[in-house]
Amino acid sequence: MNSIAAWLLTLAGAAALIALGCAVRSGRGWLISSLSASGFALASAAVVLTTGDGWTWQAGFHLGTAGIHLRMDAMSALFLALLAVLGGAGALYSREYWNEWEHPRSAPAGRLWWSSLLLSMALVLVSSDGLQFLIAWELFALSAWRLIILDSRHAAVRQAGWLYFAASHAGTLCLFGFFASLAARTGSWDLGPLRDQSDFAPLLWLALIGFGLKAGLFPLHIWLPSAHANAPSHISAILSGVAIKMGIYGLVRFTGWLPLPAGLPWVVASLGVVSAVLGVVFALGQHDLKRLLAYHSLENIGIILIGLGFALLAAEQGNVVWGQLALAGGLLHVWNHGLFKALLFLGAGSVVHATGTREMSRLGGLWRTMPWTTALFGLGAAAIAGLPPLNGFVSEFLVYLGLFEATLAHGPSAWAAIPAAVLLGMTGALALACFVKVCGVVFLGAPRSPAAEGAHECGRLMRTAMGVLAAACVAIGLLPVVFWPAVARVVEAWQPAWTARQPAPAPLEVLTFVHVVLALLAGAVGAELWRHVHRGRVGRAVTWDCGYAAPTARMQYTASSFAEIITGWFVWILRPVRHEHPVEAVLPVRAMRSGHTPETVLEGIIEPSARGVLRVSTAVRRLQHGRVQSYLLYTLIGLAALALLIVMHRAG
Amino acid sequence: MMNPVSEMPLRLAVWLLLAPLLPGIVNKVKAWVAGRRGPPVLQLYFDLAKLWRKGVVVSTLASPGFLLGPAVAWVAVVGAALLMPLGPSLAGAGFRGDFLVLIYLLALARFCTAWAAMETGSAFEGMGAAREVSYAVLAEAAIIAAVLSLGVQTGSLSLSTMLAPAAGAGAALLAAGLFVVLLAENCRVPFDDPNTHLELTMIHEVMVLDHSGPPLAAILHGASVKLLLFSVLLVQAVLPIGQFAPWAGAGVLAAGVLGVTVGVGFVESLLARLAFRRVPLLLTTAFLLCLFALLVAWKGGPS
Repeated sequence: MNSIAAWLLTLAGAAALIALGCAVRSGRGWLISSLSASGFALASAAVVLTTGDGWTWQAGFHLGTAGIHLRMDAMSALFLALLAVLGGAGALYSREYWNEWEHPRSAPAGRLWWSSLLLSMALVLVSSDGLQFLIAWELFALSAWRLIILDSRHAAVRQAGWLYFAASHAGTLCLFGFFASLAARTGSWDLGPLRDQSDFAPLLWLALIGFGLKAGLFPLHIWLPSAHANAPSHISAILSGVAIKMGIYGLVRFTGWLPLPAGLPWVVASLGVVSAVLGVVFALGQHDLKRLLAYHSLENIGIILIGLGFALLAAEQGNVVWGQLALAGGLLHVWNHGLFKALLFLGAGSVVHATGTREMSRLGGLWRTMPWTTALFGLGAAAIAGLPPLNGFVSEFLVYLGLFEATLAHGPSAWAAIPAAVLLGMTGALALACFVKVCGVVFLGAPRSPAAEGAHECGRLMRTAMGVLAAACVAIGLLPVVFWPAVARVVEAWQPAWTARQPAPAPLEVLTFVHVVLALLAGAVGAELWRHVHRGRVGRAVTWDCGYAAPTARMQYTASSFAEIITGWFVWILRPVRHEHPVEAVLPVRAMRSGHTPETVLEGIIEPSARGVLRVSTAVRRLQHGRVQSYLLYTLIGLAALALLIVMHRAG
Repeated sequence: MMNPVSEMPLRLAVWLLLAPLLPGIVNKVKAWVAGRRGPPVLQLYFDLAKLWRKGVVVSTLASPGFLLGPAVAWVAVVGAALLMPLGPSLAGAGFRGDFLVLIYLLALARFCTAWAAMETGSAFEGMGAAREVSYAVLAEAAIIAAVLSLGVQTGSLSLSTMLAPAAGAGAALLAAGLFVVLLAENCRVPFDDPNTHLELTMIHEVMVLDHSGPPLAAILHGASVKLLLFSVLLVQAVLPIGQFAPWAGAGVLAAGVLGVTVGVGFVESLLARLAFRRVPLLLTTAFLLCLFALLVAWKGGPS
């Protein structure tokens, strides 16, 4: 029992309720109480993660058949810490980004639903009762939906909201089935470890679909790109940083508590690999900045699931060493992805705020007017591409180590670990390609449109929010050893048989050293080169253009031309759509060529089948038209059929 | 075996001072095959010294990242080189998974070079950067398959123990695969032609088209360190360097690197550059060679 953590969380809850209360009337009060709620929640999570002691609390009274049952252990604390950091940063950012002056109507509503989203997600994390979990889950889904459609003037936003709403409820349906069957079999809504009840195992398949829809793993990601792209950017940040991690939380939580059905580890690991590779491939095909970032969520969820999948394989085969490493890597990637993806979405928000467009081929050269955003976005890009010495590399390193150890163990899981390791390597290289493209096209070079030329740097609050997230990315990157115990405690909470209370693995300690040295050296050499160059003569001239007399900004490489080589390899899944008016005469009057990459699963599978269902229902609906004569005829036919059946039965 | 910390300056000196020899040797071999005298073997040293003293011309579009990119890329390549053992006498400390850090440091260098290329807003440089990052995807897959095969072969995850014994039955496959990766990663013929001055057909050279003076020196030196790094990796992966006495090992390693460099020179003299359509095919072949080496190691390695 850890009463300090419990009291801190109570304080956080109280502050969050105050924030909810004053969200509509007072923006300043809302910000202060939101930030203090974040601070208390972070402190509470930190206490649980450092001491390893959780707490539980059960109300004395009952609501119908369900009581109120809260529980916080290291696993809840891990996700709660991320929620607290991103919630605080997002609140700070939104004060300036979605302010009263530009959005008089939706700003108060946005604050209200923001607080309600954060509260309901926190409630999901500490729920230890099935019914309460479902209620909190539904509240969380609804708040997220209201936030996605905050700017509901645009049809695209409403459509994205509808898709999210539908997908989210399909998931909730599965979860309802999951929790209800669990409660029916155990006789209570209480949740807890049930590892020895082997007949519960098949229920995890329902959980995989329900939580998988929320996490957005391939091919259940259909709602994710449009929702993330069309929501205001601080909403995209919290959706991508925390909301989809709720699905991961559910998967990690219940795979730890329930017995595993045969085959689930293999399915989770392969879904992870597929999501990772295809997520980044789809991202490369996009030219909408925020849509591209949304597909990268798919990639990173894939990396997390590779970690979880191999941990499940290890649990099944009783191999501790690589299971721990893979799971620790996956869990650390939950934090890392939350941090750098939120940073990138907030950076994208600054770009959209300054230029009014998300279309990358209309941007360019923003570093001149937006140096802070450029630097912070560049840092986030290096982190998400998994480059040392930043945090993305640390978690990928742990996952890789798990995969390599699994290969050396020579068991059946090595057959999965070899392709997973190779494909993870390719994912990393693809992500690097994608973020060179984003940074190069959006921030570097020459502005491609007047909007990009007239951009302006974002304000202080927005910069602070991004700075906090960037600092967290650097901290985890440079000092991974400090964060290891927290992750190790969660591994232990997941599988108590793996007593992970051990010092950080030796490679992680060396990695810490390597990262610090690398960062120092890069700084020193960079400064020296800079000094040396500026001691000499520095001339400025136009970029080498082969002596062409009239270069324009439109001659630069664009997002699609940059990605063309790689998207060419993946035409079979991307199925890009091209619109072309070829060059015809000697002096052509007009010629154009453009293209976009549709969402293959949504437009190729879900929409046609939905149209099929609609067509059948429309055909059936013709029977219902309100003419009494026909209804009498139906009755007559029905009676005759029944009579015929009876007669035939008698005869037979 | 020396103390890993005290041997660090020596290793650093070997990497920094010997690396610029390699492009000189390649050029000498090419000149010899073509019947020319060619530039002196030490030409790159003279070029570096000259560039370091020169002024810089920077594109009007470029941000400070244009100068910092080459610096960070150089640090990353040298850092990667320091993780690579240099024969039995300078094997370094090593830790489990150090080759991953090496691979990702090279990726960091790639990110910085491509970033600096995109700074100029030039279509040529965009083209080069796009090619570099795209082909790296396949090269990365091949390298990971190669190190996995070494890992399975030796039952170890640290470069110093992985590279000490011979590569076993799959040595020929591994050597062929790694040699192709070496050519691709260092932008040699048949992937790229370091001599051409037609921007449309280049990869690496076109990315650094707008660099000049000291940053260009950093780029050229980094490229030579990278070439040495891949040659050392190839030689140590195939030959049982760890079984020689310390100084004999160093000699064998040096001879091997010289052999690889001469091989690069011959390839460059005798082959033409591939059409870009064919590049992925050749890299996929390299990946498959490494994968077969992995399967051979799997069948024959210690279990």
